[in-house]
Amino acid sequence: MPSFVPTSPDTLEDQRLYTSARLVDVACLDCLAEVGVKKNSEHHTSIQWTAEARAHCPELSRRTGGRESHPACPRMIASIEAATRAGRIPIGAEDGY
Amino acid sequence: MSDTRQLDHGTPPERFARGWHCLGLADSFRDGKPHGVEAFGGKLVVWADSTGEIHVLDGYCRHMGGDLTQGEVKGDQVACPFHDWRWGGDGKCKQIPYARRVPLRARTQRYPVAIRNDQVLIWHDVEGSEPDLDILPPELPGLAEGEYTDWVWESEHIVGSHCRELIDNVVDMAHFYYVHFAFPTSFRNIFEGTQATQFMESKGRPDKSGGYGDAELFLKSEATYYGPAYMINWLDTDYKGFNTEVVLFNCHLPTGPDSFLLQYGITVKKPEGLDDKTANFIAKKYAQMFGEGFLQDVHIWKNKVPVQNPLLCEEDGPVYQLRRWYEQFYVDRADIAPEMVDRFEFEVDTTKANEFWQDEVADNLAKKAAEDSATADV
Repeated sequence: MPSFVPTSPDTLEDQRLYTSARLVDVACLDCLAEVGVKKNSEHHTSIQWTAEARAHCPELSRRTGGRESHPACPRMIASIEAATRAGRIPIGAEDGY
Repeated sequence: MSDTRQLDHGTPPERFARGWHCLGLADSFRDGKPHGVEAFGGKLVVWADSTGEIHVLDGYCRHMGGDLTQGEVKGDQVACPFHDWRWGGDGKCKQIPYARRVPLRARTQRYPVAIRNDQVLIWHDVEGSEPDLDILPPELPGLAEGEYTDWVWESEHIVGSHCRELIDNVVDMAHFYYVHFAFPTSFRNIFEGTQATQFMESKGRPDKSGGYGDAELFLKSEATYYGPAYMINWLDTDYKGFNTEVVLFNCHLPTGPDSFLLQYGITVKKPEGLDDKTANFIAKKYAQMFGEGFLQDVHIWKNKVPVQNPLLCEEDGPVYQLRRWYEQFYVDRADIAPEMVDRFEFEVDTTKANEFWQDEVADNLAKKAAEDSATADV
């Protein structure tokens, strides 16, 4: 069953660029979780989890749902910051994505 | 020219979202009458039985198509105005007073009901699944204990726009400045499972009034969509140093392929030392402010076109990821792709926007001061 269907093939390429292009794998320094990270600038961060990574994260798994489950895992944030400092994550956008 | 960017309007979905949808405050249906609610391309009948329990069925009688919303509540059932067929909340015809027996096949479409935060929620799924109680929105702690003001509840019919326009606001950092006259200083999103959250800190624009425009208003906002159509927005507000905990409920009910009923409710945690009347007054004021905010959005929606391929800049929020999340409600459960529900986090860099906006606001204030003094000189 189709839902929101693009009418141009270029739109599919846009979807790819904005959602999955340039993601760098970052492993958590404290657990087995590995996420995809993109940084368009120092302040910007985009973090894509997978079900597998999510299951590995003890911090997020400990949370019981509700409002408290929303904030980021501080250990993963620290791991991403370390990877950024180490120059592993290129900083900067390519034409807005 | 080949390098000219084209808008892809896309084609809207052929179905309505799966999930819990809010019909309004429960008490508004408890007056002993059947109520008609337009939804999902048709009409529903909503009534309360003798115990106050609320029931929702398709609005049209399975006998000869009579409009049940114009019938009567008789006992626990809704009676059709055409031939008095009596329908129970379980969707079965209970009685046909002029007939010896009720046909076994006399079952109509029933919508499972849950009451949350004094509101009626119904489960909708074109696949006909059992209601998923695990993904019901949470109850506001303290609401039942009287810690909050009376509800201010408003609704607005939106025609000519798909409800995804409303959803897009979850990630749209810059529109808060241009449309709502607020100034976001921090903006983050988290999507996971059936929930999508926006965290925003903002201050009012001193060069504008209306909407959220007010130099002395600071908002710390956390807004979560629980499923496709029900958002709870916790707002810590600071107005001239006076802190209030405001909760905004923002829900919608699709009525057709490009129309929906927008409903929003406001309640305010009664500040200590304030009487109920003053607290209710504060709630009304905030409702007015957010009401103006929605109307500002509506004006944009009425005049814009749908776009399936938005062109983004670095300061924009994750529109594509949000829409990917939203799509899970429009496909069969079996077709939900992992990336639609996998956790995704995003922080918008508001640095550049803030620099530019500070300057623009200062310019506007200087222009206004110059105009004011010119007028005073005349």
